[in-house]
Amino acid sequence: MRHLSILIHYFSQYLKARLEYKGDLLIAVFTSFSATVASFGFLYILFHRVSSLQGWKFEELIFIYGFSLTCLGFFNVLSLNLYEFGERYIMEGRFDQVLLRPLHSLFQILFEAFRIESLQEVLTGLVALGYAGWKLRLQPTVIEVFLFPLMVVCGVVIYLSIFIILTSVSFWFEDRIGIIPPVYNMIPFGRYPTTIYNVFLQFLLSWIIPFAFASFYPTTLFLDRREFQPYFYLVPLVAAVSGTMALLVWNRGVKSYQSTGN
Amino acid sequence: MTTTLAPYLAFARIAFLQILAYRLRYFTGIITYLVNVTVYYFIWKAIYRGDTVIQGFNFPQMITYVAVGWIIRTFYYNNVDREIANDIQQGHIAGKLTRPVSYQWMQISQAAGESLFRLMMFTVPTGAVILLIYPVQAPRSVSSSGAFLISLLFAFVIFAAINFLIGICAVYLQSVLGLIRAKYFLIELLSGLVIPINFFPDSLVRWSQWLPFQHISYMPLMIYMGKVGGKELASVLLVECAWALALLLAGKWFWHVARLKLIVQGG
Repeated sequence: MRHLSILIHYFSQYLKARLEYKGDLLIAVFTSFSATVASFGFLYILFHRVSSLQGWKFEELIFIYGFSLTCLGFFNVLSLNLYEFGERYIMEGRFDQVLLRPLHSLFQILFEAFRIESLQEVLTGLVALGYAGWKLRLQPTVIEVFLFPLMVVCGVVIYLSIFIILTSVSFWFEDRIGIIPPVYNMIPFGRYPTTIYNVFLQFLLSWIIPFAFASFYPTTLFLDRREFQPYFYLVPLVAAVSGTMALLVWNRGVKSYQSTGN
Repeated sequence: MTTTLAPYLAFARIAFLQILAYRLRYFTGIITYLVNVTVYYFIWKAIYRGDTVIQGFNFPQMITYVAVGWIIRTFYYNNVDREIANDIQQGHIAGKLTRPVSYQWMQISQAAGESLFRLMMFTVPTGAVILLIYPVQAPRSVSSSGAFLISLLFAFVIFAAINFLIGICAVYLQSVLGLIRAKYFLIELLSGLVIPINFFPDSLVRWSQWLPFQHISYMPLMIYMGKVGGKELASVLLVECAWALALLLAGKWFWHVARLKLIVQGG
């Protein structure tokens, strides 16, 4: 409860700061939306010339895309500080401040800054889901209606966990390898039915960097693709395991943190 | 001539050396590009059946298009936009403005140094790995490979000039990172990197003929594959040259206007 009220305070403070520059926020929302439209362009153009991708229709792929975008939107809202963590918090020594406060450090890092414009992605994702669901005449059962938000939460947790683990690397090494952007750029690859890939890529996207569990697998129940049912029910487990792993790695990193001075 | 060029050669050299410090990044880069090519390989494989031809591309041609497209991206790509935005937002620009050189040419020559580095340490290994794994067709002919190399140079200049323009927007915007991200995805799409331009709906194809982006990836690749040749080839190269010059001039003009609005906080 205390955490929730602190979160609300963090968010409203940040929102106030952003609203000081309304024009800038508007441009940020617009550019974020353009990026979303462009990333959707490949599918749109592809299906302008072909009618199906290994038996998957355009609307089905839009459904998967919409689901992934919804989760990714929430993730992007929260992940702003993860990208700049190495530089802002470790190299500049700002992490000392964080450690002095009586609140878990990860909570502070995630909720101190928000990429507000990415809420646009959540909305666009839901619109895409709605459109695809309507075109496909999906009739969700009561259980599915309850499972849907749970799947979104799991997706967000999986995205967050992967990038928390990668960010934790900067506790030990200065990030000279630049591992985060290439992994981030792989997110769209989880948006295709895994069966189009070979065994190696399927394994990579399911069990090493489990993007498929945050985009493709969670949609399969709603799309009535029974053959993926075991994977669908594994989604919460994958989210729980990766969340736990992320927390463990982060805490370990905090322990070995050495201040650079401030 | 040599005295006017000398400082810019030095900028290129320094950029080259600075990136050397980050060479580890290029190891992960090779894997990223390989994964990119692999994913698109499987997407196209899921689409093509037997000897289908879609928009003039059969499956081996499409794989060549995808693979060479990513390989050349290792060369022309740069982060000039981010660096300029950084200069402006952190205030480093103040010091750089005192130098008796053109800020635009300084950035472009740094990008050239970066691309030279990428060519040697990134394009060659990435190309080797991709060529080993995927069946990539050779250029159509000697003349098409020559024209391809020339169009690659234009692709570099066009890409760098666009990045310069985007970077300068940081003078006016607080959150230029969003703009940079949008540009990233728009160029991936409109350059024809992820899907050939002639797959676009007809109206978009017509639009794209009036835009510079297709000269970054699509046109060099069409030249490579011999789909653009003869008389058309000369006119395409001319248009590319014109775009390169126009975008450089636009950058020069935009910087001229924007520097008057520049507010440096610290530095």
